[in-house]
Amino acid sequence: MFNRFKSALLSSVGAAESAAAAAQAAVTDGAEAAGGPAARPAKFAYGRPAFLQLETEDELQVAGDRVIRPIIVPRDSSRLPWTAGYAEAVNAGKSKRNEDAAAVYTGVLHQPPPGGPAGDGDGDGLQRTGRSVPYYYFGLFDGHAGHGASVAAAHQLHHIIHERLVDVLDHLLPPDPSAAEAAPAPGVRAASLWIPAEEVAPEKLVTGALEAAFNDMDALIAEDRLKYDMRGGCTAVVALLLLGRLYVANAGDSRATYCRHGRAVIASHDFTPETERHRVRQLACQQPALTGGEFTHLDFARRVGRRDLGKRVLYRDAHMTGWAYKTVTERDLRFPIVCGDGKRSRVCATIGVTRGFGDHDLKAQNTNVNIKPFLSSQPQVLVVDLEEEAVTESDVLVMATDGLWDVISNERAAELVEQSLAAFPADDVTKRRYRCTSAAQDLVMSARGKLKERLWRLSDGTMATIDDISVFVVPMLPYREEHLLWKLGQEASAVRCAPAEPPSGVRQVSEPAQLDRYQSLVEQCGRPSPPAGTSPSGNPSGAAAAAAAAAAAAAEDPVETGVEPEFADAETGEPAAANGPVPAANGPSGTPPAAEQVGTVPVTWFGGEDATPVSRPAPR
Amino acid sequence: MSYAYLFKYIIIGDTGVGKSCLLLQFTDKRFQPVHDLTIGVEFGARMITIDGKQVKLQIWDTAGQEAFRSITRSYYRGAAGALLVYDITRRDTFNHLTTWLEDARQHSNSNMVIMLIGNKSDLESRRDVKREEGEAFAREHGLIFMETSAKTAANVEEAFINTAKEIYEKIQEGVFDINNEANGIKLGPQHSPAAAGGMAAGGLGGSQGGGCC
Ligand SMILES: Nc1nc2c(ncn2[C@@H]2O[C@H](COP(=O)(O)OP(=O)(O)OP(=O)(O)O)[C@@H](O)[C@H]2O)c(=O)[nH]1
Ligand SMILES: [Mg+2]
Repeated sequence: MFNRFKSALLSSVGAAESAAAAAQAAVTDGAEAAGGPAARPAKFAYGRPAFLQLETEDELQVAGDRVIRPIIVPRDSSRLPWTAGYAEAVNAGKSKRNEDAAAVYTGVLHQPPPGGPAGDGDGDGLQRTGRSVPYYYFGLFDGHAGHGASVAAAHQLHHIIHERLVDVLDHLLPPDPSAAEAAPAPGVRAASLWIPAEEVAPEKLVTGALEAAFNDMDALIAEDRLKYDMRGGCTAVVALLLLGRLYVANAGDSRATYCRHGRAVIASHDFTPETERHRVRQLACQQPALTGGEFTHLDFARRVGRRDLGKRVLYRDAHMTGWAYKTVTERDLRFPIVCGDGKRSRVCATIGVTRGFGDHDLKAQNTNVNIKPFLSSQPQVLVVDLEEEAVTESDVLVMATDGLWDVISNERAAELVEQSLAAFPADDVTKRRYRCTSAAQDLVMSARGKLKERLWRLSDGTMATIDDISVFVVPMLPYREEHLLWKLGQEASAVRCAPAEPPSGVRQVSEPAQLDRYQSLVEQCGRPSPPAGTSPSGNPSGAAAAAAAAAAAAAEDPVETGVEPEFADAETGEPAAANGPVPAANGPSGTPPAAEQVGTVPVTWFGGEDATPVSRPAPR
Repeated sequence: MSYAYLFKYIIIGDTGVGKSCLLLQFTDKRFQPVHDLTIGVEFGARMITIDGKQVKLQIWDTAGQEAFRSITRSYYRGAAGALLVYDITRRDTFNHLTTWLEDARQHSNSNMVIMLIGNKSDLESRRDVKREEGEAFAREHGLIFMETSAKTAANVEEAFINTAKEIYEKIQEGVFDINNEANGIKLGPQHSPAAAGGMAAGGLGGSQGGGCC
């Protein structure tokens, strides 16, 4: 972010000022800013993601070699759920360290049994374990002006999200059938959540949990920066797999793209000064005090200077999308609050990203204007219902920082992933565990390119990215299978929990009848492997089999492929598609769906932002 | 721990020849019987003593899989030494040596010391490439040669250390410019060129007076 600004400044402001700015930036970048935050202890030591197992200083140093820029992958791919893929490469000298951070977390939400805490609740000798909901979390944070915010987010955001989910767990799960026998402790359930008059769908609660957690995270950094050395800011993109759904929460210019059969099906929206021009200008217009009198919310068709005073030029106010004429006055000579296009766009001529965490102390260069009020930590949340989807082995979520997306389009990424996955087929038992790692490595390689005559170039000779690059490739099918199995277990145990039978937390498929059902689920998912720990012994239980049949029947419903995705705006409840480009859920226009699965992924948006058409060209 | 020199090594050769096992045996004195495919690059480091001086070897173990070739090539840069490995029980891995050698010569510096290694010498009964063939190949291409076993550890130390000795000799002869990190050689923290002057007395043609880095 900041180096890009430095070069932008060179061209826009003038040499004398940029030298000062560079000096200032050097102070903020440097590890030992005298008397400043450096005097405080770090809350979290700098490091690379834990699952990379880079433990020694040597390994950190080699991984961070900015001349070779090695692509680092986990040395043990089983460190990530379902051997999901991850790869990273350090920048080419833009900042001292790789300021991207990543985190993976496998969590379980516990719902205490009705009528009391876990354990032998009412002295009847029966174990009441309550219900457990597993979930998976992947987070990427692209830091700027230091690694303080990105490292803090990688360490803490998942815990905050966990707390927020626990808060609404009672309403995420269908009512526990065993609750009927044990009367709830008075007041406990009713008081756990204020229930709005209308039914709130579970995905709105998870969305709310994510949104609230993003806000909490930013507030935590605001607080911690006073006690610790925690400088800079970061973007955040998070994938949460919970109760059969994929949630993608994004704040900033990192991106998650859902790929299937070499096609980008849907992608998160990027928040940059360019895409948020409207919001930022509106704010500057409504609260001019925030600009400190240094910036104007007006857009001019060209940069106006002193010699334009009194002349008529094309301009655009915050309430306009088209252009009109105005006579240039002294006030119009102020710097625009949002300037530049694409990757070079800036807020207050300083920062190139408008959402994420941190930056609480960031001032517009050479001014005393606080930039934070123009930034937001609110994520856009995208929901994909994986239960409803005909998910295949080729379905992966590609999450990456802008180091990748600056040079690789969504479509190109999807193609590259497909090629990599093909080299390590899913049905090859010895190779399948490498497939996502290899795909992630190939993506990083395709963005990092090769060093030719001292410049990093892509294979077609164009400039490669010199930024930090981090990529997750998360397969969707294993989660879906796991979720269906979990659901099956829930329904089976629910039947067993009926008064005639002792309650139990059975989640393992153990009866032959269920095994058959499981197989049909698996076949539907396209992977013919038996579940681990399954044994065909035991007596078929009529009740359990019935429950299994019900679950399987639900799963066997034909998957609709032509359903219009539902786009909802969380703030207004209006369909968001009306005021923004319609997401190209069917892939690029003109290309008919290649296979029956290449259809619509039912997607819901929350966050009130324009959805992103996936077929847009790569920004250069 | 402080060192007088740091040498960067790369290990290259076909998949499954035992590159990662050689590294593991050298750094951890362990053997890994299961083939864990290297996806991109792995690192290892170990301190050795040469001519009474501490030398740190920083070893980059690359993936042999064809699919990763273009990625791993980018790691050859700036290596002072290379272990080019084949499997004595698989002739195809020997046949590919020429390609590997061309690759290595093209993508790394010309002074790089290359050690040819015929690995899995413990599998004598399954030998497919005669020791003499390895020796002949090495002679023809100006390489050092050894047969090793990552399993029994036979010759593993020697392979890494002899390569380092050869690099050290080249430094003494002034072939390597130790002030140019692209050569894969770095002076230790306390051995800036000025301080190292005495240590490498007379041997460092053209590298004296490089000033402080
Ligand atoms: N008997 C015997 N087996 C060996 C020896 N060295 C390696 N192996 C076996 O050979 C297989 C491959 O070894 P690796 O070291 O993983 O091979 P690699 O060259 O690193 O392969 P890639 O990472 O794919 O390039 C493993 O099953 C090892 O146990 C050896 O000296 N003797
Ligand atoms: Mg290996």
